[in-house]
Amino acid sequence: MFSKALFKQSMKAHWVKWVFVTVPTCVMLAIVIIVLGNLGINDIRDSLKEIFVQADQESTLKEEAVDGYELYTTTTDFYGVLSPNASLIGMLNSMLYQPAINEANPTTDEERNAVRQSVAEQALGFITGGTLPGFSIPEGLDEDYLKQFFVYLFAAYDTMTSNGADTSNVDNDQLLINAYTNLVADMAYSQSIAEEGATEDYAQTRADGAREIANAAITEYKGQQTAGTLEDADFESLANEYINNYIYQETYDLIYQQNIDSGMSASDAETSASEYAVMTKVIANTAITTYQFWINERVNEATDAGTDYDLAAIKTEARTNACQSISDQMPEAVAEALSELGNMDIYGLIIGSIFYRIAGLLLPMVFVIMTANSLLAGQVDSGSMAYVLSTPTKRRTVTITQMVYLIVALLAMYILLTVTSVISVFIVGGNNFAINYAEILLFNAGAFLTMFAIAGFCFMCSSLFNRAKYSLGVGGGLTIFSLVCTILGLFGSSVVPSAMRISAMNVFNYFSMITLFDTVSIMSGTLDYLWKFAILLGIGIVTFIIGVFRFEKKDLPL
Amino acid sequence: MSVIEINHLTKDYGEGRGIFDINLSIEKGEVFGYVGTNGSGKTTTIRHIMGFLQAQQGSATVMGFDAWKDSVEVKKFVSYIPGEIAFPDLRTGTEFLKAQAELLGLKNMDYANYLCDKLQLDTSANLKRMSKGMKQKTAIVAALMANKDILILDEPTTGLDPLMRETFLDIILEEKEKGKTIFMSSHMFDELEDTCDRVAMIQNGHIIDCVSMNDITNTPTKTYKIEFTNREDFVAFKHTRFKIIREQPQYNQVTITIKNEDIAKLMKSLTKYKLKFVAEIEYTLENHFKDVLKKIKEKESKNV
Repeated sequence: MFSKALFKQSMKAHWVKWVFVTVPTCVMLAIVIIVLGNLGINDIRDSLKEIFVQADQESTLKEEAVDGYELYTTTTDFYGVLSPNASLIGMLNSMLYQPAINEANPTTDEERNAVRQSVAEQALGFITGGTLPGFSIPEGLDEDYLKQFFVYLFAAYDTMTSNGADTSNVDNDQLLINAYTNLVADMAYSQSIAEEGATEDYAQTRADGAREIANAAITEYKGQQTAGTLEDADFESLANEYINNYIYQETYDLIYQQNIDSGMSASDAETSASEYAVMTKVIANTAITTYQFWINERVNEATDAGTDYDLAAIKTEARTNACQSISDQMPEAVAEALSELGNMDIYGLIIGSIFYRIAGLLLPMVFVIMTANSLLAGQVDSGSMAYVLSTPTKRRTVTITQMVYLIVALLAMYILLTVTSVISVFIVGGNNFAINYAEILLFNAGAFLTMFAIAGFCFMCSSLFNRAKYSLGVGGGLTIFSLVCTILGLFGSSVVPSAMRISAMNVFNYFSMITLFDTVSIMSGTLDYLWKFAILLGIGIVTFIIGVFRFEKKDLPL
Repeated sequence: MSVIEINHLTKDYGEGRGIFDINLSIEKGEVFGYVGTNGSGKTTTIRHIMGFLQAQQGSATVMGFDAWKDSVEVKKFVSYIPGEIAFPDLRTGTEFLKAQAELLGLKNMDYANYLCDKLQLDTSANLKRMSKGMKQKTAIVAALMANKDILILDEPTTGLDPLMRETFLDIILEEKEKGKTIFMSSHMFDELEDTCDRVAMIQNGHIIDCVSMNDITNTPTKTYKIEFTNREDFVAFKHTRFKIIREQPQYNQVTITIKNEDIAKLMKSLTKYKLKFVAEIEYTLENHFKDVLKKIKEKESKNV
C-alpha cells in the first residue's frame, strides 16, 4: 500500500520546489505580522473610534450645559415671581398646612405626605380660583409643578420647625429657597435615574449640581435686587456665564484629580486640566448660545406670524439641536461609513482575508499544482512511470504513496507556517495583539484545509488525465481561477468597508473554493467556519479517493 | 506451458489503429523477435503484456498470470525497457539506478556494475544531460540488473552506436544462455536475425507471419550468383540442368537456386568454366518478410 522507495524518490524530486515555496511564504507571513504589529495600523481605527466616543461625551456635556442653563433661568424666573409673595406663601403653612396636620395628626411619613399632597391641592385651588389675592400663576409655570413645589414647601416648613422652633418666626424667604432647591435636586436625581439609568452616586452628583446651580441663581437674583439693578439684569447672559464657569470648574476638578491620581506633577496636572476645561467651557458656551438662538428664532417667527406657540416644545427642539455632536451633524451615510471604518478590523483583513486567503495561498498553490501534476500525469505523459510500474509495485501503491507525499509536504509546509506565525504573534505581543493565538492557529488550519481540498482536486486531475497539459490545464486552471475569484470577490465581501465595497463583486465568491475558508467567521468568533472547514476536508478526501481509484482502472501509455 | 501467451488480443483505437486478434505463444528460454514498421502495433502489444493497457478482447498471460489483473505477479518475473526513454525526476544515473533497485528490492548491485562496465556507462552523469545512447544504456542496465526470467524489450537498441549495439546483442545472447525468455521488438531485421529463435511480423495491427530463424538460415535450397569471364561459358552454363532464376547477360551473370544436396554437383560442374566469382546470396529475414508482404499484396490485388 505504501512504497518507501517511491516516497523518497518524490521527496528528492520536489524538495527544492518545496523549500522555495515554504521559506518565502513563511518570511512573508512573519514580515506581515511583525510589521503590522509594530506599525500600529489600528491607530487610525482607534482615532476614528475616539471621535465617536468623544462625540458622545461632547453630546453629554452639551446637554449638561443646556440643562444647567435652563435650570438657572427657570430658577430666576420662578424666584422672581415667588419671592415678592414670600410672606403670602408662608401663610399657606400657618393657615392651611398646620391646621390640617393638627387635625389629621399623622404618625407615619406616608400619612404626613398624604396630608401635604391634599393641602397642596387645596392651595393650588385657591390660587387658580383667585382666592389668594395678589398672586397668580406665572406664565409658563406648570400647575403640577407648582403643586409639587407646595408639597416641598410644607416639607421644608416641617424641617424648619421640627426642632421646636418658633412657628411664628419662620423666615419665609429661606423657606421658599429651601423648598425650591430641594425640589430641583430631587427632580434632577429622579430624572437622572429614570432617563439615563445612572448610578445612585452619579444621580446624587447631578442632584447636588442642580441644587448648587439653583442656589447660585437665587443668590444672583438677590444680589441684583439689593443692588437695585433687577430691572436691567440679563439673567440669560448671566446664566450662560455661570454655567460656562461651572462646567469649567467641574471639568478642571475632575481632570486635575485624575492627573494627580495617575502620578502627574501638580503643575502639569494643572496645565492639562485647565486646557481641557477651557475646551469644555467653549463647547458649553456654543451649546447654550445655539440653544438661546434657536428659541429666539422660533419665538420670533411665531410672534411675527401672529401664531400661538408651545414654548416647551420649542425648548425640547432647541435642546436636541444644540446638543448635537459632530457625528450627529454629519450626513447619515458619511457618519455610518466613518463609524464602520472605525470598527473595521484591519489586522483581520490584512492577515486573515488577504494573507491567508490570497497572498499566502499563491505559492503553496503553485507548489501543489506543479507537484500534483508531476506525481502522476507528468510521469505518465513523459513515460517515466514505466520504471516504477515495471517493478512489482501496485498502481494503488503508487497513487497512495504519491498522495501521502503530497499531503505530508503540505502538512510540513503549514506546520512551519504555523510555527512562524505563532512566533511572530509572540514577538508583537502575544494575546495582546489584534489577532490572538487561537485565531492565528485557526487561520493556519483553514489555509491548510483549503490547500488540502485544492491538492485533492489537482491530484484527481493528475490521475484522470494521461497528458500533463490537460492535468495542468484543468487542475491548475480551476485552482488559479478560484484564487482570482477570491481576489475579485474581496471587493464585494463584508471585510471591505462599505465606502469601498462593490456588492456585485461578491458573486465571485460563489465561484471559489477558497470562500469556504471563512476568516470573517474566525475573527468574529462565530462557529460558521467549522462546517465550512468540514466541507473543505470532505472535498479533499473525496477527490483524493477518486484519484486513487481511477488510476487503477485506466490505460496507461507507457 | 508457454511463458508468454497471447490469445486473440484486440485493442481497437478506431480508424484502423490498434491491434487485432494477436495470437502469440513464447516458450521458456526462447528469444522472440517482434518486428514491424513504426505505428504497426508493437508497443501496444507490449503494453498489454506489461499490464499497462486493458485488452478489449482476448488476453495476455505471463507465467499463467493475467497481465492486467495480476500485473503485480507478472512484474515479479518481468523486466522491461520502455520504447520511450524518460527518467524520473532524479539527478544522476546512479541515483536513478539506486531508486530502481530499491523499488525492485534489489540489494546486490554486482550485476548492475558488470552491465555498466560492459556498456561503458558512466552512471554518475546527470540524467537530464545524458545523450540518447547513454539514456538507453541506463535504461538497459535498470531493466537487466534485476536478473529476472523474462525480458521485455521495446526497441532496445535505439540510440546505440553500431559498436554498442554489438555489445548489447552480446549481452542478450548471454542472457539467452542463462535460459531467459526474451521478447524483443525492433524495426531492424539484422539484429533480430542474430539473436532470435523466432520472429513475428506485425503490420497494421495484424500478425502477418511468424517464422523460426532456423527455417530462414537452414533453407533446403541455396541461391548462388555466378559470373563468367566470357560469353561462351555463360551460354554453355545456361544449357545445363541447373535452375536459373535470373540472368544478366550484359555481365555474364546468372543466379541459380539449388537444393542443398545438389551443391556438390554444382561445384563439380563449375570447374569446367572460367569464373569471375561465385557468391552465395543469403536468404535473410528481410527477404523473407518482403516475400511475405509481396504475397499479401498479390493476394489483395487479386481479390480486388
